[in-house]
Amino acid sequence: MVNTGERRRRLRSYLRTIGQVFVLQFKQTAIDGFIIFTILVQPLLIALMGLWMLRGQQDNYAVFVVIGSGMTGLWSSLLYISGSNINVERWLGTLEMLVGTPTPLAVTVIGKTLSNVVMSLVSMVLGYILAAIIFRFPLSISQPLPFLISLLLTVVAFSAFGLLIAPFFAINLQLQRWVNALEFPMYILAGFMFPIALLPSWTTPLSYALAPYWAARALHATSSGTPAPRELLLSWGMMLVFSVLYVAISGWLFRVMVRRARVDATLSLQ
Amino acid sequence: MSVIEVHDLRRVFRTSIGVLRRRVKEIVAVDGISFQIREGELFGLLGPNGAGKTTTVKMLTTLLIPTSGSARILDCDVVDQAQQIRPHIGFIFGGERGLYWRLSARDNLRYFANLYLVEPDVTRRRIPYLLELVGLADRAEEKVEGFSRGMKQRLHIARTLLHDPQILFLDEPTMGLDPVGARELRSVVRDLLAERKTILLTTHYMFEADELCQRLAVINHGKIVALDTPAGLKELVQDLSVVQMEVLGIAAERVQRLRELPFIDAVSVEPHEQKQILTIHSSLGSGAVPQVLSVLDGLRVDKVTSREPTLEDAYVRLVGGEG
Repeated sequence: MVNTGERRRRLRSYLRTIGQVFVLQFKQTAIDGFIIFTILVQPLLIALMGLWMLRGQQDNYAVFVVIGSGMTGLWSSLLYISGSNINVERWLGTLEMLVGTPTPLAVTVIGKTLSNVVMSLVSMVLGYILAAIIFRFPLSISQPLPFLISLLLTVVAFSAFGLLIAPFFAINLQLQRWVNALEFPMYILAGFMFPIALLPSWTTPLSYALAPYWAARALHATSSGTPAPRELLLSWGMMLVFSVLYVAISGWLFRVMVRRARVDATLSLQ
Repeated sequence: MSVIEVHDLRRVFRTSIGVLRRRVKEIVAVDGISFQIREGELFGLLGPNGAGKTTTVKMLTTLLIPTSGSARILDCDVVDQAQQIRPHIGFIFGGERGLYWRLSARDNLRYFANLYLVEPDVTRRRIPYLLELVGLADRAEEKVEGFSRGMKQRLHIARTLLHDPQILFLDEPTMGLDPVGARELRSVVRDLLAERKTILLTTHYMFEADELCQRLAVINHGKIVALDTPAGLKELVQDLSVVQMEVLGIAAERVQRLRELPFIDAVSVEPHEQKQILTIHSSLGSGAVPQVLSVLDGLRVDKVTSREPTLEDAYVRLVGGEG
């Protein structure tokens, strides 16, 4: 039984670890060409195409494109980078070292996922610069404070999702081969670049079951519209519910993943 | 008091072979081993490559789950109570992996100190001391990707000692170190023993095992074939004398003919510059020389010497000249 003083000491240590991992992940990935393409170049290309196609449309649609293209960067970062957080440690030979310490593996992955998500917000900033300076769209966020809250909850929801998929892909390495196939369906179902009302009605329940949909809904509504408070609270509430659900499932998945790796001797490549 | 108790530990690895018609192949890496290690003891595990040493260490450090049998560290089960064990153990595996290449030596240690729940004020004192201990104080700010193999191994040693663990598992810790570095490490190990640490050491180097270990287990094909003090293991070969010869160009067929001689206990061949050193264990001692020379007829034989058996000779007898 761990007493309260020990619990506080561990929590402080876990928070320090998350901070260190956040910086370490940033240092390790900021110079990786594939990651730079995923979180910067690809979303910018999507923003460029969207802005070019929509020239002459209503000006506030530019904000929609900027937010949407930024979210594609968020999702791609989650899929390609956060999804391989554990497998990268195995490749580096550090997974055994991490599992062999008293700190749960999930603490390290939280730090890495947070770093990935925050870094991928850069794509939203760059899209904003592209639209405002190069295309000279007048860009303004219609509801700055609700937008900021929506953005924070988006970071939480996406980080929770990243915490879920890391052990999922580590349990079965074959699943990572399907990563490419998961990228565009999310762009479409979550309504990143266009409203889901344009899709067949039978897809709507699928969209509602995805936290990125509620994130996109809240960000689009607060950046380029005037959402009803009930609608906004619903989006925020769903992001929180999904975050709690993802964290709960990920806790179980981490236990399964570590146990299975200890049985199958897959903590290391040797 | 035993801090490590191993009872009938077994580990089987399953791999599949083939693409269209897959077959499952089982490899028994550890085959029912049992031993106990007392508090403050330095226990050695010797064996050829593939004998099961690293597999055993990985099971005891909670990184691998045994197929059957049990192991307890500080009265906690390695399978179901791993979290209670991990704060009290440290481990090194040989090799260059396990460190973050893009971080400096100091940053690697800071990171692992947090993972081992070491308080910041202790970390601030301990890291400079450990870097000095392993001879990396002047390289502390350099990235690990520029380190040699020996330097990475020394950093691993520092990492293992960060949280001042009660029990250490050292899997070939001097591998990759130069003779001076290896001697310094052995001195560190003696100091740790003086602090009543419990140490399980695996090594290939007989003189290291003879020098450091209080008891040794010799493991071969996953089984413990002998368990005793170094002096006790040498007793196993007291009936033998060892004859060594330098030969030029001995073929495997002649070595096999030597092994078939009735008074020969074991034969090993080790390359040395342009020649081979033939080591013969025989109860006849130098009396075996004439018949050995008749088998080697036609080959150039230089320098024939006879000596008392060492721990290495006991090891060769126990594992049959392998590895």
